[in-house]
Amino acid sequence: MNKDAQMRAAINQKLIETGERERLKELLRAKLIECGWKDQLKAHCKEVIKEKGLEHVTVDDLVAEITPKGRVDSSMNFNTCLDSCSYHYNQALVPDSVKKELLQRIRTFLAQHASL
Amino acid sequence: MKMEEMSLSGLDNSKLEAIAQEIYTDLVEDSCLGFCFEVHRAVKCGYFFLDDTDPESMKDFEIVDQPGLDIFGQVFNQWKSKECVCPNCSRSIAASRFAPHLEKCLGMGRNSSRIANRRIANSNNMNKSESDQEDNDDINDNDWSYGSEKKAKKRKSDKNPNSPRRSKSLKHKNGFSVCTSASYTLPLLFSSSGELSNSDPFKYNSSSGISYEALGPEELRSLLTTQCGVISEHTKKMCTRSLRCPQHTDEQRRAVRVYFLGPSAILPEVESSLDNDSFDMTDSQSLISRLQWDGSSDLSPSDSGSSKTSENQGWGLGTNSSESRKTKKKKSHLSLVGTASSLGSNKKKKPKPPAPPTPSIYDDIN
Repeated sequence: MNKDAQMRAAINQKLIETGERERLKELLRAKLIECGWKDQLKAHCKEVIKEKGLEHVTVDDLVAEITPKGRVDSSMNFNTCLDSCSYHYNQALVPDSVKKELLQRIRTFLAQHASL
Repeated sequence: MKMEEMSLSGLDNSKLEAIAQEIYTDLVEDSCLGFCFEVHRAVKCGYFFLDDTDPESMKDFEIVDQPGLDIFGQVFNQWKSKECVCPNCSRSIAASRFAPHLEKCLGMGRNSSRIANRRIANSNNMNKSESDQEDNDDINDNDWSYGSEKKAKKRKSDKNPNSPRRSKSLKHKNGFSVCTSASYTLPLLFSSSGELSNSDPFKYNSSSGISYEALGPEELRSLLTTQCGVISEHTKKMCTRSLRCPQHTDEQRRAVRVYFLGPSAILPEVESSLDNDSFDMTDSQSLISRLQWDGSSDLSPSDSGSSKTSENQGWGLGTNSSESRKTKKKKSHLSLVGTASSLGSNKKKKPKPPAPPTPSIYDDIN
């Protein structure tokens, strides 16, 4: 497990160093706006805010409502990770095409830097 | 260094996939968090709900998707066939032509004919019999317009038949203006043969012809002395070609003149002789007789006073001319005497002729 953690850390570091992480992030943002994910979330946010009252909304409230309810941590394995992912509200809203494309790019990146 | 130890190729695919998924999830979470921050800031700054509209307004501006309509729900070509009634002349005008029509009808636009307004103003002035300055102004106007007409023949710009410069002199309804118009037409007639081919002194820009409904009787007569004038069947316009134009016969020309000027109209053969540079006193006699006709019936449109000259063509001549001829005969005779003298002296000269006859007219009027 330590190895895995180390590996993951190393990979993340590589992602950041090459700037791939930023590029992936921008790509994801653009695609999410394009597919209307942001608008859907915005509508959801409006409901939450109307519920809670405009004056008393905090960041935590929003984050709690919007981001996935369960966090994916290293203790989970791949399958359970997938299951829990699909139930998360916002992740369920992301279209499959966007998800697939991003995963593809990540795999490509990993394959490129495999020998490193 | 540690990276070299942990070679990714040693991992199985499921682990790789897990890692990829993780990275993906992280990215999505980051995006969500970023979005939350944006929304929270918008809420706290107060611009979060700005783009909200109530459902009623939303329905008002809904996109329309019906055939024949644009997305706003408007019908294409709706105003093309609509007709408006002009408040001035009470005619039904097509909507797309309404604005230019109003411009000309009211006499207030840039291209409008201000002749009608000036005519009314002048007739009012003459009725009040104002001072000499007014008439001198008019004379000066005539001078200026005559000169500009001569120059305008060569200009290619703005040959609007309704522009005030065109035949300003002929539209005057004053008694003395008859002589001025006569003296203008004659030099113009003589010069026309030399300078013009098909264009006439009055700057008609229509290439095919002129709509004769818009012309006054004096203009018509002067037109018919210089142009063929035969009315085309399909365009209903007068032919602007010379008196010997091959498209129309002399019979047609005679018929047109009879139609417009009455049975005693001068026939084209006689008038064609006027185009020559040299002229005799015999020709001038026929001219004078024609001008006498001009002078007597000149006042008929001003008597009716309306801006519609079409009513006064032909019909007005028959009805009013006999009366006006008696009353104004003396004046016109004087004017013609004056012009006869001027005719003998001038052929193509600039307008000096108006000066001698006018004092005589003045004496007669006053």
